[in-house]
This record gives sequence, structure tokens and C-alpha cells, in this order.
Amino acid sequence: MAFTVKEFRAFMSNCSALMEENKQYLIDLDSALGDGDLGLTMTAGFKEAVDFSAQAAETDVGMLAAKTGMAVSRKVPSTMGTLVASGLMGAGKAAKGKTELNDKELASFVSAFAEGVMHRGKAQRGDRTIIDALVPGAEAFQVAIDGGQSVSEAAKKADEAAAAGRDATKDMKPKFGRAVYYGDQVLGKVDQGAVVGSLIFKALHQTLA
Amino acid sequence: MQRLVNDPKNYVDEMLAGIYKAAPEAVGHAGDDLRCYVSKQVKKGKVALITGGGSGHLPLFLGYVGPGMLDGCGVGGVFQSPSPDQILAITKEVSQGAGVLYIYGNYGGDIMNFGMAKDMADMEDIEVREVIAGEDVLSSPKGHEDKRRGVAGIFYVYKIAGAAADSMLGIDEVERLARKACANVRTVGMALTPCIIPEKGKANFSIEPGKMEIGMGIHGEPGIKVEDLAKADDIVAEMMKPLLEDLPYVKGDEVSVLINGLGATPREELYIVYRKVAEILEGKGIKVFNNYVGEFATSMDMAGMSISLFKLDKELKHYLCMPFETPFLSQKQLKED
Repeated sequence: MAFTVKEFRAFMSNCSALMEENKQYLIDLDSALGDGDLGLTMTAGFKEAVDFSAQAAETDVGMLAAKTGMAVSRKVPSTMGTLVASGLMGAGKAAKGKTELNDKELASFVSAFAEGVMHRGKAQRGDRTIIDALVPGAEAFQVAIDGGQSVSEAAKKADEAAAAGRDATKDMKPKFGRAVYYGDQVLGKVDQGAVVGSLIFKALHQTLA
Repeated sequence: MQRLVNDPKNYVDEMLAGIYKAAPEAVGHAGDDLRCYVSKQVKKGKVALITGGGSGHLPLFLGYVGPGMLDGCGVGGVFQSPSPDQILAITKEVSQGAGVLYIYGNYGGDIMNFGMAKDMADMEDIEVREVIAGEDVLSSPKGHEDKRRGVAGIFYVYKIAGAAADSMLGIDEVERLARKACANVRTVGMALTPCIIPEKGKANFSIEPGKMEIGMGIHGEPGIKVEDLAKADDIVAEMMKPLLEDLPYVKGDEVSVLINGLGATPREELYIVYRKVAEILEGKGIKVFNNYVGEFATSMDMAGMSISLFKLDKELKHYLCMPFETPFLSQKQLKED
């Protein structure tokens, strides 16, 4: 299946719906371990992504993703807002000039999202951040596509890998953000950024299923 | 602190409106956003130079926009970074097709926002490079220079890059010279009193009366030690030690010296400081080529000062000597020897 601006818009809508569904959960997690605004910034950020991408007269998937990233950063200039925006911009760069992405190009788009976040945030895997969900998700997607599987199968594998990555953060010590101040108190709880990362892959799965 | 304000929320925009009225031939804004500050005298075909950062530091950052210096500046709220959108709008406005160089201080918010603007400019086929200045010696130890904050010494990076771009050098050369300037400048600062952010109305850190803080950053970032206030000469001697050792600056070197007041320290005192700095350099056999004494990177009403040294060679001296003119500062062509 080809991934066009239509699928991108659906992806943003699914992200927005999932953030909305999990708003209170994110608020609670972030209030315990961060500054408490994650549920608000993620719902506001993805709502903006939906609104912006719906009205943008853009047929270039890359340009639409990048401009949506800028719109998100404008709306929610918090750290996580900027990171999500950077992911969209990274993905956008990888897809620049293309009106539809084939399976391999879609895999590059997904990887570039994770890399965009990683590049901006400077976190590595194992640092207990959104990266711990995004990178396993993107890798699983790439491996499935390289193995000749369908995008819907690849998206399912990626969703599972991102969820597993999220759960693995329970045992990780924080190196970034306010969570650092809480030290060992965070152990046993999932990282709230990784929850956001897993929701993004769940939304991708819904879009491509 | 008693201030000349209307609604503190309009502090930055009213300041900008005043600057545009004061220097209408020299500067303006890209589009409708007052915070997208651009030169009206950008030379055709040159490499465009853009900086940006929080307000509250005049003449930093926008005061360095003008012929021979920079072409645009993203203006943030007090101590807040400008947005990626603003930086991008400025980039499009001043780009001359010869590449754009972002020069800004090493702060997390600025790195993120300039990085996003660069990504978006790349999407639109505008070539952007970045040079991040960080020369505050006491903000991070030797070996971890990449974590150092950018303070008043960024003046030299602007000056060298500005003159290089004005000489119509290409983007590779302008970037190389900007990096070379970064590598040769070091600053050590100290503070006597905190500053008050207009919208907050109170200081978000404190220095007890009779005390001073060596190494404090221009947003009140903690320094390395709080001590009893000493005599000016002793303070200078204490600051010069880490400053000279860091690069190091040694006998036979030729330097430019910049003494920067943080906002509430009188110029008289800056010259008392300069007197001792010059004496110490003389004693070490380090030649002072020229000096800048005044306010270059302030922090609202903070009292205190910083000392920057810029090690020169023939090439850096050439660009340092070139003229520049902005609504805030200017320099005539200096003699190279």
C-alpha cells in the first residue's frame, strides 16, 4: 500500500485520539515523575498536528510532515513537544519530494522519525526516554519490511516492539529531564516519554492495519 | 527594583518598537512579527549571519545586527529562546543565496530551536550551518569545553564572522573563521547582585549583601564559589588566573581584551578593572592589541562584570580591525599594526 498525505493525516488523527484517551494517565505519570504537563502538551500538540495537516494544501508527504512538525513546535514549545516536532521534521526530510511512499520508503520515514527525536534530544537507548520505545519500534518495522512482510504486518510488529521497549523502561534509571531528581524512586514505573512513543506506534499500527 | 515599564507583559515588544522607531533606516522586522529583527542594509550576495537568544541582555543579541556584523536576530522573551518559526522567517528574509550561518550561545533551548529552524530551512533548500559559542571558562572544566555557556566573548565570534562575510568570503571560510574565533576566546565572570525579570518582579536567585559570586552565568546560573566581597584588584587577580591558564594565554601572545559590565556596574568600575587586567597582562608579557570596555552582554540590572581575552594571529587581527556599524555599537577601521 502507498503512504500518501491521506495516510499521514490519518496517522496524526490516530495519534491525537490515543493521546486524548490516555490524557489522564499521562498527566498522572508525569505528575509523579516530571512536571505534570505531558498529558496536556501531547493532546494539544497532536490536535494541532491534525488541524494543521487537514488544512495544509500539500501533496508532498515529506513537506507536509515537516510543516506539521513546525506547527507542533509552535503550539507546544515544551521539551516533548519539540521532540515530537523534531521527529516529524526528520521523517519529513527523509520523504521530501515524494507524493507517495512505497514500503521501503515508509520504513525510512519511520526510522527518520526516531532518529529526528534522538538527534534533537541527544538521548541514547537505555536512558529511559521516548527513545526506548521509538527505536525498537522503528527497527522492528524496518526488519519486517526488509523481510518482505506487508506494511500492516510490519506495523503490528513495530507496535509490539515499541510496547515492549516502553515496558523495559521500568528497570531503567533516568539520565534526562526532571526524572533524574527522583533517582531510584522511578524504578518499577514506566517512563512517561516512552508511553508517548508507544502510543505513536500504536497509532501507526491502527493507520496501516 | 523600580522600573520604567507599562504592562510588564509588553516589555520586549515595546522595547523593540522603540528600537525600530529609533533606527528606522538601519533595522526592521521580517513580516509582522516584531521579534524577527533584520538589518535593512544586507549586502547582496553575502553569506547571511543570524543570531538570537533571550531578551534582557542588550546590546546582546540584536545590537550586533548591522553592516560588518550580523544580518538578523531572533528575539525571545526575557531569558527565553526565540521560536523556530521566527528564526526561519529571518533566515528566509536575509538569505542571499550564499548560505546562512547561525551563531548563538550554548544554551539548550536555543540549540533546539535553531536546530529546528535549520531542519526546516534545509527542507526549503536554504543551506544553513551553525556555530555554537561557549567560552565561559568556569561553567565547565577543561576537557568539557562543549558544555561551556556562551557569554560576552561571543562578541568576537560575531565580529570575525561578520567581517569575513562582509569581505564576501564563502560559507566554508566564514564558518571556519567563526570556529577559529570561538577557539581563541575565553571569558570569566563574576556577579555582585542578582537581576529581576520584569514579569516576575523578583529575583529568582540571591546574593547576600557583602558577598560576590565568581563564575555566575548571565541568567544567574550558579558560579563556582560565593565569597566575601574583596577589593577590585584582588577580584581581578582571582579571575585572571583561570582565564589565563585555560587556553592558555602565554608570554608573547597578542590579545584583544573585552571588559563587560552586566548592567548595573558603572563604567568607572569597569576601567578600574581594566587597569588591573592590563597590568597583569603586561607582567606576563602578553601584548594588548586593543580593548573594548563597556556593556556587551548584560543581564538586566545585575551588577558585576566579565573579562574576555581573544588571542590574535595575523588573520584574526585582519578581520577584527575591519569596521562595523549597528544602532548600538560601531567601530572604524583599525590599524592592523
